[in-house]
Amino acid sequence: MSTPLATQSLAFRVMRLCRPSFNVDTPLLLDPADLIVGEDIFDDPVAATHLPPLINSHLTNPPDFSDLSYRARFLLQNPSDSFGLSGLLVLPQSFGAIYLGETFCSYISINNSSNFEVREIVIKAEMQTERQRILLVDNSKTPVESIRAGGRYDFIVDHDVKELGAHTLVCTALYSDGDGERKYLPQFFKFIVANPLSVRTKVRVVKETTYLEACIENHTKTSLYMDQVEFEPAPNWSAKILKADEHKSEDNSPSREIFKPPVLVKSGGGTRNYLYQLSLSLHGSAQSNVLGKLQIAWRTNLGEPGRLQTQQILGTPVTPKELELHVVEVPSAINLDRPFSVHLNLTNQTDKELGPFEVWLSQDDTLDEKAVMINGLQTMELSQLEAFGTSDFHLNLIATKLGVQKITGITVFDKSEKKTYDPLPDLEDSGEIHRPLILTIKARLWNQIKEREYIQEAGNKEQED
Amino acid sequence: MDSPSPQLEPTPVQPSTDPLTHQFTTLNDLAHELTSLQDLANRGSWRSILDKVNRARSLSLLSTPHDHLTYLAYIVLSLTKLRRFQEAQTELDSVDDFNSHHYRYETYPKIYPNRSGSMVPFSLRWLHALLPIKLGNRQEGLDRFYLLLDFVRGKLNKNGTDVSVKVWRKREVFVVNNIINHHLSNKEFSVCLDLINGLISGGNLDPVMLSKLGHVQMQIGDLEGANVSFSKVEKLISESGESDIGLRNLVSRNKALVYLVAKDYLSAVREYDDCVERDGMDVVAINNKAICLMYLRDLSDSIKVLESSLERVPTVALNETLVVNLCSMYELAYVNHSDTKRTLSNWIARVAPDDFDSSCTRV
Repeated sequence: MSTPLATQSLAFRVMRLCRPSFNVDTPLLLDPADLIVGEDIFDDPVAATHLPPLINSHLTNPPDFSDLSYRARFLLQNPSDSFGLSGLLVLPQSFGAIYLGETFCSYISINNSSNFEVREIVIKAEMQTERQRILLVDNSKTPVESIRAGGRYDFIVDHDVKELGAHTLVCTALYSDGDGERKYLPQFFKFIVANPLSVRTKVRVVKETTYLEACIENHTKTSLYMDQVEFEPAPNWSAKILKADEHKSEDNSPSREIFKPPVLVKSGGGTRNYLYQLSLSLHGSAQSNVLGKLQIAWRTNLGEPGRLQTQQILGTPVTPKELELHVVEVPSAINLDRPFSVHLNLTNQTDKELGPFEVWLSQDDTLDEKAVMINGLQTMELSQLEAFGTSDFHLNLIATKLGVQKITGITVFDKSEKKTYDPLPDLEDSGEIHRPLILTIKARLWNQIKEREYIQEAGNKEQED
Repeated sequence: MDSPSPQLEPTPVQPSTDPLTHQFTTLNDLAHELTSLQDLANRGSWRSILDKVNRARSLSLLSTPHDHLTYLAYIVLSLTKLRRFQEAQTELDSVDDFNSHHYRYETYPKIYPNRSGSMVPFSLRWLHALLPIKLGNRQEGLDRFYLLLDFVRGKLNKNGTDVSVKVWRKREVFVVNNIINHHLSNKEFSVCLDLINGLISGGNLDPVMLSKLGHVQMQIGDLEGANVSFSKVEKLISESGESDIGLRNLVSRNKALVYLVAKDYLSAVREYDDCVERDGMDVVAINNKAICLMYLRDLSDSIKVLESSLERVPTVALNETLVVNLCSMYELAYVNHSDTKRTLSNWIARVAPDDFDSSCTRV
């Protein structure tokens, strides 16, 4: 059915039409004062007066229509002319590489190189990938009436590249040639789509916070301007991006309002890292371990856009605690052998009633006396907590050793479920409260006798209970 | 060509000895037949300059040290323009130390009574830094450029005349721009942006430089940044109240670019048309308008715009970028594009200056 190209009246010509670029070259422009005289001549006051007008009159007039010289290729009008970027745009000079996430755009021209008019031209353009064939253009309902001898018919196609690997732009034309014979012209333009980026992720769980580190690597031949990199968390999660503090000097720069340094990932292996802090929303429970997806949007020359998203990123499943015990307040000054009160808060994070509870300081395995002990009743009773309820209480403690000490082993026991919850960690860092249970115990100047009396009293009290 | 120099002193002195004697009235006072050299340079007749320099040397027409240096500058520049970089380097090698006393006026008190300072044309120092880069030794060239910058800044610290200070300050900006150009050619954008930032935050906000910043931002894809820069340029120019056509066109061309990246090609074409109406030789507007027409699917008109500019204003339109674009359009539009390109190439050979790089036609 299809005839050899040589006997066809029509031929497709294709040019990739991604965005243009600014031409950059080294223009070799000179100020005449740097050429015709020695560099120090202007130190001479006479030269300083007479030379500039001489130079200006002969040499630096901007070209006008009557000037048929090429002085614009030689004379420097403005020192910034040697910047080498005049603003001239240049069309894409080669097909170049095509990457996943970009838009493939092409100018297609059908030329009639015969000496006769062709008529009734039905044009189709399709993109053939490994998995599918996508129709881009089809004018079979309204064919082009005619293309004269030596004439052309042009159109532009756009296609969002969503697959990797071999792609073929299939252009076909069905037309009646000069003899009235119906001819069929298929032409194929092949290209490969590669991956522009790779994303490596690391998930770490510290206490109850999940951290996601993402490293984006640029595999293309140009730098990528990171327009937007966003982490879209899965339904039960919320995410916050963690950014390094800005260097002080950058903030004070006077041109700050004009120029903000862009996020640019270098070509051929440049990388950029992002860090997110993820937390499970309060009422959620992580049944699956899907954390979410990373959405990446970038731009290249003159804003040519590209967009990709990663697959679902998985984390280690985190089961939230049913009960949260927070330290609310610890006195700032704690003295040896003096009782002090620690303000604690117990929260029920489930949707059912829990409790009643008992709270105590569990014994160490060692036989050493604990540095901090409960003063008075060794077990504290707490009432039931309703769903998502919270209750404040105080533990009366006493320190028996000087220096920096830890309160260890605060244990909560659910009396109805007969369930012991993990002791409160020694260093608390959950949510907004950062209260170390590390205390500095100071000695206090006491009358020795009084001191002994007090301890005696406390000891007696214990024995009574 | 040689105009008779006004003889104010009775002493019979050759025209190109101490220029001070003749109060700098003509170019020929500054160096032997300088008017002719400059005229050839303006025409782009670099090969003719080579001939002239070689002839002057072989016939021993150059009598003073500064003549030799000026002629050296012209020949090194010409060879560089003609892309004969190795020969240019060889010529430049004849001077091994610019700071040597051989190149100072006070070394020749008989020729330059009461004159002191370096007679080295600054362009020689510039070419000395540029040539290694052109010959592929990037690191050496870049080092020399940074050393040159230090040298220029050193000159600024000495107290010279007002004019002298102005000249050295221009040279400072010139050298920084050369360094930026070098990094830009190597797509080292972050360095470029830092250097531009340095120039801008120096105090005086030059709208032309700010506009270049916008272009670099646009090239890397930072469209928001480019918009901020271009707005600032427009504000600066309207505040200064200048009605300079060059600056007004700059603002229009920047606006056109913003339309272009937003794919509003019709508005971009309108802006470019305004530019050409104000200045028929605005070749950036002409070229970029043709590009927009292509994106509007109008290949025929884009070709017409470029071809007509070559006919109308050849001395500005004939640049390698415009020709590259025109040839790309020919390759797309004509099955027999080789013939069309050959016609263009022949015309160029007749009309173009010696330094035109005709490989851009890909014929």
